[in-house]
Amino acid sequence: MTEHQNQVSAAANAYPPCQAACPLHQGVRDYLLAIATGNFDQALAIIKETNPLPFVCGTICAHHCEDECRRNNVDQPLSIRGLKRFAVENGKAAVPPPAASKGSKGRVAIIGAGPSGLTAAYDLARLGVAVTVFDREQSAGGAVRHYIPLYRLPDEVIDQDIEEIAAQGVEFKFGVELGRDLTIEQLQKEGYNAVLLALGLPVSRGLNIPGVEGEGVYYALPFLKQVKREGFKFTGSPTVIVIGGGNVAMDVARSALRCGAGKVKLACLESAEEMPAFDWEIEEAKEEGVEMFCSWGPNAILRENGKITGLEAVECTCVFDPEGRFNPSFNQDCKQFIEGDVVIFAIGQGGDPEPVRKEIEVDERGRIVFNNRTMTTSREGVFACGEVVTGPGTAVQSMANGRLAAQAILSYLEGKSFDSAALEEVPAIEQLDQAVLAEVKKVPRNVIPMLTPEERVKHFKQAELGYDTVTAVCEARRCLTCYAGAQRIEELCANCLTCVRICPYNVPVIGEDGQVSIRSKQCQSCGLCLSICPAYAIKFRSPYVEQAVNSIEPAAKELLSAKNGEPAILALTCAYGGFALPEFINNKPEHAAVVRFPCVAKLDSLHLLKAFELGLDGVVVVGCTEEGNASCPYKNVAYWIKQRVARARKMLDEVGLNGERIFYAEMSGLDKEEFNKAVAEATAKVKELGASPVK
Amino acid sequence: MIIAERKPLEKILDMVAPFKRICVLGCGTCVTVCMAGGQKEAEELAALISIHRKKENQEGTVEAFTIERQCEYEYIDQVVERLKGYDVIVSLACGVGPQTLVEHVPELRVLPGVNTTSMGYPKEQGVWVERCLGCGDCVLHLTGGICPITRCAKSILNGPCGGSAEGKCELGKDVDCAWHLIHDRLASLGRLGDLAVIQPPKDWSTSHHGGVRTTVREDVKVDRGE
Repeated sequence: MTEHQNQVSAAANAYPPCQAACPLHQGVRDYLLAIATGNFDQALAIIKETNPLPFVCGTICAHHCEDECRRNNVDQPLSIRGLKRFAVENGKAAVPPPAASKGSKGRVAIIGAGPSGLTAAYDLARLGVAVTVFDREQSAGGAVRHYIPLYRLPDEVIDQDIEEIAAQGVEFKFGVELGRDLTIEQLQKEGYNAVLLALGLPVSRGLNIPGVEGEGVYYALPFLKQVKREGFKFTGSPTVIVIGGGNVAMDVARSALRCGAGKVKLACLESAEEMPAFDWEIEEAKEEGVEMFCSWGPNAILRENGKITGLEAVECTCVFDPEGRFNPSFNQDCKQFIEGDVVIFAIGQGGDPEPVRKEIEVDERGRIVFNNRTMTTSREGVFACGEVVTGPGTAVQSMANGRLAAQAILSYLEGKSFDSAALEEVPAIEQLDQAVLAEVKKVPRNVIPMLTPEERVKHFKQAELGYDTVTAVCEARRCLTCYAGAQRIEELCANCLTCVRICPYNVPVIGEDGQVSIRSKQCQSCGLCLSICPAYAIKFRSPYVEQAVNSIEPAAKELLSAKNGEPAILALTCAYGGFALPEFINNKPEHAAVVRFPCVAKLDSLHLLKAFELGLDGVVVVGCTEEGNASCPYKNVAYWIKQRVARARKMLDEVGLNGERIFYAEMSGLDKEEFNKAVAEATAKVKELGASPVK
Repeated sequence: MIIAERKPLEKILDMVAPFKRICVLGCGTCVTVCMAGGQKEAEELAALISIHRKKENQEGTVEAFTIERQCEYEYIDQVVERLKGYDVIVSLACGVGPQTLVEHVPELRVLPGVNTTSMGYPKEQGVWVERCLGCGDCVLHLTGGICPITRCAKSILNGPCGGSAEGKCELGKDVDCAWHLIHDRLASLGRLGDLAVIQPPKDWSTSHHGGVRTTVREDVKVDRGE
């Protein structure tokens, strides 16, 4: 974490809700902006700043970010995970070389190549630690590699991340099992300065109910692994009963459908609303034909001649007690027989203390004795992280825990103390207030295309197809760009109230002290105030508008240097929607320089004058007309840009240059021919007017 | 506040023609608020002068910056050396600014970049209306808060005159008759009877007709040992 801080966020005193909700605090807003404006390489670079498993996360991340997205209160959240996948598949970004030379900070052994171990390995390696990762399996990835079904996460996806981690100098030793092939003591004797236990939760839980002994009973993790790695198939199209209501249960049920089950039934204690699995996964399981039996607890597995005939279930009236603890109560008078041939338990996973029991302290429940503030175990130099110490969670939560362990280990290697409780938590900005919310334009979420349920249950090919480029840039454009927008420069502000009057979202307010307050955390980043403020007392928190402004002059100068008697035309276009597509970006109209502006409403009439001061012959301003799921999220854009253009034209007339040298057009960036035509028409008109007399 | 608007560009260009090093000086208070002479307008004017000079192949430089108030010595002092580096200053302050500048720093050459139009307020975003003439003897208590001095073209105290028709002034259909407004306002306040009182002729000596007005508060003056 120490070196991977998103630059913009590092200076922030608060994160956008998405970034705060992400356990890795990924710079979500900034990479969505990069995608929305067609900078896919930059998007991936931002992702890689804080995420060592971008491919995996783009494919299966539980996207805690989306749960907090402010659009939840407007329409639907941004499809952040889907956009991450788009960025990793369409961007190119090399990770900069590690900050320190390998081994300069010592040697660390990490046991377990799951998300937490890999993240710790990556972070430590980048900070100059020589890291060796040991795993009992033959490949890295842990639970995501061995248990998450291929239809959700193809192996090639994981491989791409592992390659990048290995490129940081991390060594992998596979087929080595702690307690069997090596011990902590051995590692310490071999000179590893620290050992990190990232053992995960490898043991599937079952229930000791009548009928559990005998054939036809499976457990989630071995089942998923058999299906994924050994091509397990059911014979005879059995009816499979999956017990459990979590995400693993969904993986099991959907895998069972794909490996020969005739029918899959899923029974869980929770009601449909309480099921711990993600809603989308429950939905996809239902689409594929999984039959849900909610609020039913398993009482007995019934058998005839040893063969399972079904499950006797009893109604679960309540899963949690008044204190919120798991403590189900049942109505023994209400029972149901669920017919089936196979039962698979998917009711949770636990740790395996056996490999470490002799070397570190383990409590009476088999858990590693662990200090979550120092990330240490009972043995000097031995740390732990991930689900083995946190309990079940999501991959990205484990990664964040691995990152914490890496920080703890680095401190240890440097002889410094470490206390996770002392780390500063950057708070999230608040949700939008009602007056702002009421003005935010609704733009429907773009659904990530998937194979049809009928098609996807036939095989283990990846079910989700991912966004195409057009849909991705449009979806990213929905981002509300939280806390990137306007902030008031107190010493310049004249309290003229212009921003208060023109903001479409009620963001600037007059404080009790009579001072204007631009509530940056509520700002929608449309930039209308920015380009009208008479004191230039407003700037954007993020640098993207300034960067666009600063790119006008070099573009104009380059164009002028290549001037060969033809008119030099600067096109200032929208940067979003069709204008963000490679087809538009790579389209180079003759005699024109193109500067894409992250909403032309942020253009100031001064920017237009400056172009003529540099000697350009004409300027074409192009606003967007995209509609529906691709539409501009901002308000009043066309009105204000026309006002700016009109003012600039008037001033140009006044100075004797002829305001007709400024053109305004609205179009979709999807039609580059229309754009080229607009530039060609401007060129023809400027030829009529003659070259600019400005030298 | 004081309302102003930029002078026609042609006039400004004529005024600055003899000078090489030009400064467009914005003022950070009234003219910023009425969007006539703040930093943005200063930069725009500088760009326009620059375009003109390049167009006409004239040499010279144009810079723009803004100070908090051009009508205060202390704010001028903060930038006085910088100001002395220019051949001419185009002040975008109200008429007070250029005068304060030259009174305080006589070697400066200062030109007015704006016309000071009135004292008023923004009736709506982008529209500023005059509401005070600065006559020095306010009568708003008699007229329901509507100023006949400012808003009546004749500044009469016992209106309306014969030119009022359907609430409009004979000046034009878009000009409200101030006395019609006063009548309606007093009627709404139940004070129509006030209009029966004939106001004596106004003493204009408190206005600019009496010469330059100086306002003094002896109690806040600094002791200079005089």
